[in-house]
Amino acid sequence: MKSYALKPFLKYISRKFIFLLVTYFIAITIVFILPRAIPGNPLSTLLRQIFQQGQANPELIRSVHKTLMEEFGLGKPWYEQYIDFVTRAFRGDFGTSISSYPKKTLELIIPVMPWTLMLLIPSIITAWIIGNTLGAIAGYKRGSFTDRFTLNFSLIVSQIPYYWLGMLLIFTLSVKLHIFPGQGGYSQGTIPTFTLKFILDMLYHYILPFLSIVISALGGWAIGTRVLVIYELDADYVNFGELLGLKEKTVFRYIFRNSILPQVTGLALSLGGALGGALITEIIFNYPGTGYLLFRALSTLDYPLIQGIFIILIGSIYLANFFVDFLYALIDPRIRLGQSEGS
Amino acid sequence: MWLAMFKPLFKSKKFLISILIFIFIVLLGLVGPILYPVDPTSYAGPFERPPSREFPLGTDTYGGDLLAKVLNGTKTSLYIGFLTAVISMSIGIIIGPISAIKGGVVDEILMSFTNIVLTIPNILLAILIATYLKVRSAEVIAFLLGALGWPWFARAVRSQLLSLINREYVKLSRMAGYNDLRLAFEDLIPGIATYAFMSFILFINGGILGEAGLSLIGLGPTKGVSLGLVLQWAVLMEAVRRGIWWWFVPPGVIIVALTSSLLMITTAMDEVFNPRLREK
Repeated sequence: MKSYALKPFLKYISRKFIFLLVTYFIAITIVFILPRAIPGNPLSTLLRQIFQQGQANPELIRSVHKTLMEEFGLGKPWYEQYIDFVTRAFRGDFGTSISSYPKKTLELIIPVMPWTLMLLIPSIITAWIIGNTLGAIAGYKRGSFTDRFTLNFSLIVSQIPYYWLGMLLIFTLSVKLHIFPGQGGYSQGTIPTFTLKFILDMLYHYILPFLSIVISALGGWAIGTRVLVIYELDADYVNFGELLGLKEKTVFRYIFRNSILPQVTGLALSLGGALGGALITEIIFNYPGTGYLLFRALSTLDYPLIQGIFIILIGSIYLANFFVDFLYALIDPRIRLGQSEGS
Repeated sequence: MWLAMFKPLFKSKKFLISILIFIFIVLLGLVGPILYPVDPTSYAGPFERPPSREFPLGTDTYGGDLLAKVLNGTKTSLYIGFLTAVISMSIGIIIGPISAIKGGVVDEILMSFTNIVLTIPNILLAILIATYLKVRSAEVIAFLLGALGWPWFARAVRSQLLSLINREYVKLSRMAGYNDLRLAFEDLIPGIATYAFMSFILFINGGILGEAGLSLIGLGPTKGVSLGLVLQWAVLMEAVRRGIWWWFVPPGVIIVALTSSLLMITTAMDEVFNPRLREK
């Protein structure tokens, strides 16, 4: 019995895994091709600029130039450059930063990643839970005041970019009312440590960026789930359950569970956009995460750092995608029990 | 016939309110710059003045007139949104039907391609491509956003067409010897017209919000003014923490009013045209 049920599950998961691996490979390839394919070749322009600035500290500039030449392998044929690039990327070597020479880009990215993950994951999950619950209640009580209010509220809120809500929150709750700190991940002058005092300080700084993402992200989920629930209301089992005289709560629970399934896959697909929004929100809040690092890299044209950040971010999104697909396979009985979707 | 079809729409209060807001903002962008002919790129005014008679939306750090910037920015943002939608829609309306009608290997190849583009986080990719472009016109931004935004639409069109293809009338047309093109245009595409129209609106929203996002990260249009660029300068000049609300509130309000009124138009249409959502 068990082995019978395991097979379709493994098949589903391995297909997803292969698909993501291929997509990741394509993403890396795009990162490789872009700077070389765009007219004017930004890489060689950058190298020339660095070489021309050589007066200030000729020794340093020359060594930056040499490292970059080696890492980008500009003298070599393209396929050698490509193989080199991919093997480095899979080893986690994304080259040397220009603006923070001679640090490796990975050394710069690793310390900021936890900040972004800590901001993004809890806020996205909170928004998902609140949004879906609100939407399900609204859909179940369709036509009521609760429904109309939730729908209109969600429609507007879903269109507020995280970062603009962040600006409004900083302006009102921090600048005007002085309730919350309006910038940074912790108080200036403190050093990150594992003490209660620091953690509380960090949480205090966490509230506003967290709220910006949760509030703007929940609208979209509410709208989607509301429609899914309304569709579900027509299903035979709902009519049957009501006829049997099941408690409203019990029927709602069934409807909720069935309509939430597509939203699990939706969560995987929305991660990219959510990450993009969170990166900008970090910039608004001067939050010490990946967004802030990317912003610095962009303003100094530190291409190796930009590339490194991208490969890591895209990789993390694919990992998260895979995790969500895995969860989906676990909770969807059709995949778990190996029925084909049509039957 | 068309009139009869759209009549119930005008009974929807939600539809009426949202279309009025939308028209108002479009007028702001199209007629505003003519009625208020101040050069949005001139820096002649006093610095950081709050709204007054002379400067209805105040001025920024360089003495730029913010009303002129917001009006012209609205125009650019609308243009970028519209162009993005045209590009995404064209790609989706080609790939979706071909995939559905041809089926087989063509379908498989097109759908794998679609799924790959769908899975690559498009905002990140747009940021990466924009990084390498020295000159970014409004068209380039729209092209970037449009070329990456279509996959969900192509997939939805394909699956909707697949359910249409098995209907009797399509089978009859096939028997009557319609070729694929005629089949697509006469039998299938009219069946998804409302859906396509609603998707077009969502694509406009994607373009407007995408432009704002790219601009805030420093990769917006390199010339002209857009709502995103106004916001970007407000952030760079620390307008939020220095309490210069008239710099960052109006462009954001316009973005949110514009995109949410468009979204409300689509939901109102959905409630009218989609029998499963119609209130009983």
